[in-house]
Amino acid sequence: MKATELFNSESHQWIVLGRDPAKPEKIIDTNQYLIKSAEEAIILDPGGIELFSPMLAGILHHVQIDNITTLFASHQDPDIISSLGLWDKTVPNAKLYAPWLWEGFIRHFGMENIQYMPIKDEGGEIKLGHAILKFIPAHYLHSSGNFNVYDPSAKILMSGDIGASLEHGDVPLFVDNFAEHIQYMEYFHRRWMPSNRAKNNWVARVRELDIDMMAPQHGRIFKGEMVAEFLEWFAKLDVGIA
Amino acid sequence: MISSHQATMAINNFVRVANIITNLDTILSQAKNLSLTAKNARVVALRAGDAAFGFKPITNFIDEFSTQTIKTTSEISKLSNQLFSLALAVVRCTDLQHQLNKANSIKQHKCIVTLQQQSLCDLKQKTRALEQAIFSLESYFEDIQKQMRSAEYIAVTSRVEASNAGEFSHSLESVSDFITNSARKIKTAVNENLQEIYELRGALR
Repeated sequence: MKATELFNSESHQWIVLGRDPAKPEKIIDTNQYLIKSAEEAIILDPGGIELFSPMLAGILHHVQIDNITTLFASHQDPDIISSLGLWDKTVPNAKLYAPWLWEGFIRHFGMENIQYMPIKDEGGEIKLGHAILKFIPAHYLHSSGNFNVYDPSAKILMSGDIGASLEHGDVPLFVDNFAEHIQYMEYFHRRWMPSNRAKNNWVARVRELDIDMMAPQHGRIFKGEMVAEFLEWFAKLDVGIA
Repeated sequence: MISSHQATMAINNFVRVANIITNLDTILSQAKNLSLTAKNARVVALRAGDAAFGFKPITNFIDEFSTQTIKTTSEISKLSNQLFSLALAVVRCTDLQHQLNKANSIKQHKCIVTLQQQSLCDLKQKTRALEQAIFSLESYFEDIQKQMRSAEYIAVTSRVEASNAGEFSHSLESVSDFITNSARKIKTAVNENLQEIYELRGALR
């Protein structure tokens, strides 16, 4: 599994893990994000069961297992959190932050040790070392209980399925040509995102944030002006169409 | 080190536990029917008066062993929840072992080795607990088997008594037939479960 550093400061570091060459062909590729401070680490959307072993092996390059104190699940899908039953035994003292709406569902993945920390609809925030991570509501994009993670200091928005693209082959990490990239995103957003109202509300709120990087759970990451281009494109897109 | 064969075995064991629990329904429903039959037979025997004098204590016997079977089955039901969660825990531990082995082949790290050792220890502990629960389960089924042997004996005795009950013979003979059939069904379910337990113990060894 490839690991790339997205941000590094004295207080914390962002690393994206993904593009696993050993991934079974029919499984959708996912980006997992590790944020680590000197003594703590959080994994955002740790991924599915199939990815657990390469993820564990990849993460141990960067962090001691006992330092993984927190997991975050943007929503309840299996590609996001079906590995929970395995993490539950690997980091039994960790906490899982996830939408309150999905607690009874996510527990089906197996959770005897990890503590479920329900995130209220209006969002919230946690501290990781000296860094603050904000849970930004992204309900109905696509899941009815859904959050992004915003780091005001790193100016990174982990946007979950928003901005996701479906490409095959050895895909670059960053979007370099937005117009060309639309073909990989358009169907996904039209089909998976059910509500124009929720989408417009999200766009309005996210435009208020200072963002250098928008990091989705699938496909390429948006950097610099590509973020604004995405927001403009997404604002105009008619979603909820099969 | 857990192989994919061992992972399959863990799943198969889980299916065996599920089969055992499914058979419990058969045992419980037949035992409840037996209890009901005992009550009906008592009414018929009362009506028959002296003609069914020998049948009255038999109905008490039927009631006694059916109540005992219901009680034993209820105890097994309580144990079955524990069995299911232990079998599931064994599957999960085995799965974790399998994933950790894969992680170790990607990157050798002392932390992964520690996790492998911890998870193997956990697996052994859960397997031992499962073995213990299976041992208790076996003794419960052996109890039911004994009760069903008594039921078969009573079915034969009751048929003799029923033949002396004059106009009530037919009703009481159908009670005897019912006891025979129920006891047979319960015995079959118990034998199937003992076979599953036997295989489960072999697989866990």
